Amino acid sequence: MKLENPLRSAAALIVGLVFLSPALYSIWLSFQTADAYYAGGLEFTLDNYGRAVGQYHFARYLFNSVFVSGIVTLGGIAMATLAAYAFARFTFRGSDLLFGLTIATLMIPSHISLIPNYLTLARVGLLDSYAGLILPPMASAFATFFLRQYIRGIPRSLDEAAYMDGASSLQVLTRVIVPLARPAILSMALYIFINEWNSYIWPLVAIGKSDLYTLQVGLARLYKINPGEDLIDWPLVMAASTISILPVLLGFALVERHLVRGITMGAVK
Amino acid sequence: MAPAPTLMQNPPGQTSSGCSPTGCPMVRKLLPYLYIVPLMAFIAVFTYIPIVTSINLSFREWDFLSPTMPFVGLENYKLLLSSTEFWNSLRVTALFAAFSVPLRLGLALLIASWLTSDRFETRLLRGAFFLPSVTSTVSIAVVFSWVFATDYGVANELLKRIGVDKIPWLQDPRIALWVLILVNTWKQIGYDIVIYIAGLQAIPDELYDAASVDGGGRFHVFRRITLPLVMPTTYFLLVISVIEAFQVFTIVSVMTHGGPASATDMLVNMLYRVGFVLFDIGTGSALAVLLFIILIALALIKSRVIGRKVHYEA
Repeated sequence: MKLENPLRSAAALIVGLVFLSPALYSIWLSFQTADAYYAGGLEFTLDNYGRAVGQYHFARYLFNSVFVSGIVTLGGIAMATLAAYAFARFTFRGSDLLFGLTIATLMIPSHISLIPNYLTLARVGLLDSYAGLILPPMASAFATFFLRQYIRGIPRSLDEAAYMDGASSLQVLTRVIVPLARPAILSMALYIFINEWNSYIWPLVAIGKSDLYTLQVGLARLYKINPGEDLIDWPLVMAASTISILPVLLGFALVERHLVRGITMGAVK
Repeated sequence: MAPAPTLMQNPPGQTSSGCSPTGCPMVRKLLPYLYIVPLMAFIAVFTYIPIVTSINLSFREWDFLSPTMPFVGLENYKLLLSSTEFWNSLRVTALFAAFSVPLRLGLALLIASWLTSDRFETRLLRGAFFLPSVTSTVSIAVVFSWVFATDYGVANELLKRIGVDKIPWLQDPRIALWVLILVNTWKQIGYDIVIYIAGLQAIPDELYDAASVDGGGRFHVFRRITLPLVMPTTYFLLVISVIEAFQVFTIVSVMTHGGPASATDMLVNMLYRVGFVLFDIGTGSALAVLLFIILIALALIKSRVIGRKVHYEA
């Protein structure tokens, strides 16, 4: 990584800033007072964040989003890793069919299950609960596919050496495969987390109680709180919006390479 | 989750009940099934059984509350197919796909072909373009609702400075869908770019060298070498972006609610309204089944038409 031509770097920086300007300007706006914005002036304040977190419960929504996305990620990765291991290392009756059925879900529009999943959860009394938010999106076919490909690339001789030492197949998974597949597992964990963090239609359908709103539902509601009024409190809305994107942006800045590698490997290979 | 410890506790050398040092044959055979059971159970309960349930419900009349759900045959489908609402939704969705997909892929390929090197500034730009695709769609929709607000919105304030009148971006039925296409492109293009870059980087340099030795111009090289060789990538992106276009919901729900005058009432927005606002489960399910059939048909048509033109050799 070298800085060859400062002019090119400056040009790239400008293009990037212009592209991201709507988002950047919205963050800037979240630190302004509404009065100043509508009067065309500038007045710095942190009050929008105070109101979003306190009066409008965004601290609660933040917790819900972290909790739900975290559990979906842990459960999703555990299930995907176990299944990927089985599909990569064992031949068993029906394995091709079952793997095919898993991959086929990538092509199935998720909205066909919207009404049935709502009914399923209603029947077992899990609407308006964390479990209702967490369970339906937890299985990740993409992560399973991706991890299977990755595990197939790990030499079998390593498994066999471990079996020789008396390891069980579960020990081979936890002591040999998982440590070696850590980068792939991390990529997929991120992928699942971000998807879940940003998901909207399912939480919108499954949750009626405002205690359980995720950030996305809370933000959409806040924006529409006064649809009849002609002046929306944009700085407040932008503070809430910033709260809902910041964790993902920070995570992204830390692990961009992993994420991009994961996504491109899945697509190109 | 996978109750396999019975095997682990078998000390090596134990041979009772037909067990060998590496485990019991029966248990060994069953083990892989234990590993896939959690995933399979979730997929069955939340993906496959719902397809069957949707088909079943689409032949019934139900409102979530009444104790019976009478069988009505194809009534729900007839109702949908004879309603202007459904055809409008389908038209709007098809328009959205027809314009947003080529826009996304064309722009993405252009930008990607600038950004294939591994210099600092190209990596910076790639990051900038990619950022929106991992950002929440609700936030993006809210931000662009502000950008395109008729009063005090950014776009109109900028227009005012150059003396242009306010444009009711999201209130004018002729404009609103284009705004949504723009916002969707802004959000998704980074993903397309990243995938294209990977596709472009997979093209061997020798091919470009050979073409330039032959005296091919830039455009010629692009048309004769780059374009055919990124065809598999284009095909992949085409498939997923069309499928995505048919499933757009969030930006519609936040920015326009399907309005003004149903001009942005895309299929999933209609599905949400019929199912969860009007609580017409039968019609909602019929709509979901139709959406399902449309997407499967699109996937099949595409693989027949385009599949032949894909060059898999690089």
